[in-house]
Amino acid sequence: MFQDILITGLVNGGVYALLAIGFSLIFGVARIVNIAHTAFYMLAAYLVYTFLNIAGLPLLLSVVLAVGLVTLLSMVCYKLVIEPVREYESAVLIATIALALIFQETLLLIFGGHFLGSPTLIPGNMDLAGVRVSYQQLLTIGVVAVVLLGTWYLLAHTRLGLAIRATANDLEVANLMGMNVSRVAMYTVAISVALAAIAGVVVAPLFVVDPLMWLAPLVTILAIVVLGGLGSLKGSLIGAFIIAYVEAITVFTVPAGAFLKGAVALSIMIIVLLIRPEGLFGVAFEEER
Amino acid sequence: MLRRMLAAFVAALAGTTLTVTAAQAADPIKIGIVGPMAFVQGENHWRGAEMAADEINQAGGIKVGKEQRKIELVKVDTNEILNVPDAANAMERAITQDKVDFVIGGFRTEAVLAMQDVAMDYKKIFLGAGAAHDQLSGRVGQDYERYKYFFHVAPTKSSDLGKTLFAVLGQIGGQIRQDLGKDKPKVAIMAEKAAWVDGIVKAAQANLPKMGMEVVGLWQPSPTATDVTAELSAIRRAGADMIFTVISGPVGIVLGRQMGELQVPAIPFGINVEAQKEGFWQASGGKANYVATLDTFGAGDVHITDKTVEFVANFKKRYGTTPAYTAATYDAVYLLKEAIEQAGTTDADKLVPILEKTDRVGTAGRLVFDKNHAPTFGPGYLTGLAIQWQDGQKVAFWPNNWNGVTYKGVKPFKIPPHMMAQKKN
Amino acid sequence: MINALTYLIRRGYTQLRTEVFSLPSRTIMLVGALVLLLLPLYSTDPYLMRIIIMASIFAIFAASWDLLAGFTGQVNFGHALFFGLGAYGSSLLNHHFGLSPWITMPIGAVIATLGGVLVGIPCLRLRGSYLSLATLAFPLILTGILFAFPEFSGGELGISGIRRLFVKPVHNYYAAVILMLVLCFIMWKISTSNTGLIFHAIREDEVAARASGINTKRYKLLAFALSAFFAGIAGAFFAHFIRIAGPSTLEVALSFQAVIWGIFGGVATIYGPIVAVFILYPLTEAVAVFPELREFRLLILAVVVLLVLLFMPQGLTPWLRDKIESICQRCKNRNVFWRRECRICSTAMH
Repeated sequence: MFQDILITGLVNGGVYALLAIGFSLIFGVARIVNIAHTAFYMLAAYLVYTFLNIAGLPLLLSVVLAVGLVTLLSMVCYKLVIEPVREYESAVLIATIALALIFQETLLLIFGGHFLGSPTLIPGNMDLAGVRVSYQQLLTIGVVAVVLLGTWYLLAHTRLGLAIRATANDLEVANLMGMNVSRVAMYTVAISVALAAIAGVVVAPLFVVDPLMWLAPLVTILAIVVLGGLGSLKGSLIGAFIIAYVEAITVFTVPAGAFLKGAVALSIMIIVLLIRPEGLFGVAFEEER
Repeated sequence: MLRRMLAAFVAALAGTTLTVTAAQAADPIKIGIVGPMAFVQGENHWRGAEMAADEINQAGGIKVGKEQRKIELVKVDTNEILNVPDAANAMERAITQDKVDFVIGGFRTEAVLAMQDVAMDYKKIFLGAGAAHDQLSGRVGQDYERYKYFFHVAPTKSSDLGKTLFAVLGQIGGQIRQDLGKDKPKVAIMAEKAAWVDGIVKAAQANLPKMGMEVVGLWQPSPTATDVTAELSAIRRAGADMIFTVISGPVGIVLGRQMGELQVPAIPFGINVEAQKEGFWQASGGKANYVATLDTFGAGDVHITDKTVEFVANFKKRYGTTPAYTAATYDAVYLLKEAIEQAGTTDADKLVPILEKTDRVGTAGRLVFDKNHAPTFGPGYLTGLAIQWQDGQKVAFWPNNWNGVTYKGVKPFKIPPHMMAQKKN
Repeated sequence: MINALTYLIRRGYTQLRTEVFSLPSRTIMLVGALVLLLLPLYSTDPYLMRIIIMASIFAIFAASWDLLAGFTGQVNFGHALFFGLGAYGSSLLNHHFGLSPWITMPIGAVIATLGGVLVGIPCLRLRGSYLSLATLAFPLILTGILFAFPEFSGGELGISGIRRLFVKPVHNYYAAVILMLVLCFIMWKISTSNTGLIFHAIREDEVAARASGINTKRYKLLAFALSAFFAGIAGAFFAHFIRIAGPSTLEVALSFQAVIWGIFGGVATIYGPIVAVFILYPLTEAVAVFPELREFRLLILAVVVLLVLLFMPQGLTPWLRDKIESICQRCKNRNVFWRRECRICSTAMH
């Protein structure tokens, strides 16, 4: 049972981390609570499905196209919908909710409420420490690791990363130092959505694709991000694995209560918040009253 | 566009009806088809009814007394999967604005209960074709005067589903004993967390040991869970030979897919609503080989009644897929037609006694209502089918000599070869 | 006697003239209320009645969100919790003990209020986005608990077969509309009272409010309790009207709905969310009158909300109000836009 929990938590934690880090990034830099974050993830899953199964494009091309198109779309959405109302925090919030609903309804109209499945990228499975894992799950862990390392490199060792971190640290000072804060925000949106799109692409063959698939992970990543501390990438990473392991432990120790895994994860979040109101690694923004 | 919208809204406000009366000798009979039209369930509600209505209208319509009246279907999108109040609103709109005479359909039980109350307020005959819960017809027994206008046409109500399930489980258990040489097959129960499964799960825990099988555990994921690898690992460790599924949500697809990917050496059988749909094979990425479930119509090669094969073939020709169980609206429309012709009126109070005496062979079996207006289950009545996915095809394997019932076209059940390889002593 | 009566009428008229007719926004609200009250004289179409009953219920719900989120700044993302508590509370009492809806509805509201306090206590430590995202969790946790006890809660079926308040649609209509008008008036009065001012102060600057000797914790809890109470009444009425209380009353979608109505109408106004509900709810239903548009209705709704926000980022009613009224620069009271001098302090406007 111990190995089962270990492996299951690792796979799910990786996927959650991809989603949560993107969400956290854009909050940290631009203070945008992007409810449409997982809607972009859903969009990427649908695009891969369309390119692969309907247009019959090769795998790699489909994946690259899907991630590219979704990222592009996110920048267009940012310019058209978010930037004009950025001064009004509540308007930004509702704009992202509306965006998510628009994606959901559009997909519902085009594809109907059918459950769709993408073909597995690599079929087969193997035994890992006595636990059977499919190659698709291993691939997911690999991709997650590579992408997370890439993101870390981008943020820690490039000029853009420096700008993003500076803006996240203190928006006003960054602005005074002559940084184009609005442009940095747009790039951050692009990076954050690209992470969501990659998650959608690797997850599509594991899960089922449907127009409501954005809701369940949305709640999970909100829990993760709050638990880890809003805007803290390290917090999101650790939070993702905490939630994933809590869920795995629930399923394995209380089989008849597997449906409770979401509720248990959310309760953990509330408990953490009661002890540390700014999350595990969050910064208390005292000055932002 | 905008003008029309305004005009219609004003008309709606004024309480006048929008319908333009067709230039016909007699007014058509209006039937509201209620369902979540953006989803597969509603789509099949509509298609089944559309086929029946077109056939009846081509043959001249429904004979009411001396008049020949055509059927006019009204598509009522209830949006019930997403929003329950919407469903009740839609029912009220259909009855008071679209002026439908009858309503057929319904899917999500919570919404159907709400819609049932609206229909009963207006004393409209409501033929349920989609929700299985016993409570729907139970209300008829509790408060007959109010709920007598409701008839549960399809599918088999959930308490009867249990009986079918155990009959099939017995057959599969026998096969495991024979082919794998296991005296006491082990069964893991995987039921989604929902109220409708509780009765079946309790019955399974009580009955399976009596049938010579061992229950190794109960797992209850959420109906919309996107991952059951954790549950599957635990089930594999428990050494289960069968996974008894009681699932209506998309977790059924995930289960089929992940079982295939992880080559879990067990046979999944039970209720798996998603596996009844033709899109299941595709949705599971072609991984769900050997998944088995109860079904209504099969893939068109099983002869349940004289009408089944022709209906499924016509449906497939017209829409390109086989019908899902909510296409039972087809039979419901015919049921209504025959009752109206017999009564010579569309008056609901006169139709109820006639519908109560229904004895009709439809596409999925013989329909006779019990005293609660629910369909009678058993040999000679409705039995249902059990199917297994074999290399992309839905293959019916039950009833095969069950209480003297064998449907023409059933084929043998297959135990997955990888399971044979892993489990054979 | 007659003198007293004429006095009352005159006094009432003066009140109306100075407090209501002097401001176009209040005149519009009064006219709207009168239209709702007189509508059954024009048509008693049951479908029309149903739409307005639902809109009234959701108006109470949206306004109660505004009391908490708009005024006090506790942007609640899980407002459906209070709605669901009211709905489940009153239906369980009705179902298990056969109590009359007249008793169960207030008790349902009290249960919701208790829920409000319970949620409010951990939320005292949270602020801003943390609070929003944490509150999202509460209705989901409650859903999990309800599903764990299906014999008690009915699981995914909910509790059905509850008694209706009245049988005839018109009676239900008046019950809903009058309830909505009274409750919303009370909420508006609270928001303009001393307490409302403190709520406002907490939103603007909690530290400063505390520094002025205000027990902000107590007031925040009060805001949670009040808001939950009103939302609970809405939920209880909803359950007794639609005759079922199911898990859909706790869904994330319903919580988001409250946020959409609130922000679309304009926060910290009370009447904004009400106006938003009475525009958006009938609008989606009006779209559904057309069979060919039925499947597009949510899409149309989302696009409308988005477009309106792009042009009126503060919401619909503040934008409209600023067009027809202006603020006196000296005494901060509102005036009709055409007045040259303030109606209170006679300072020249502009």
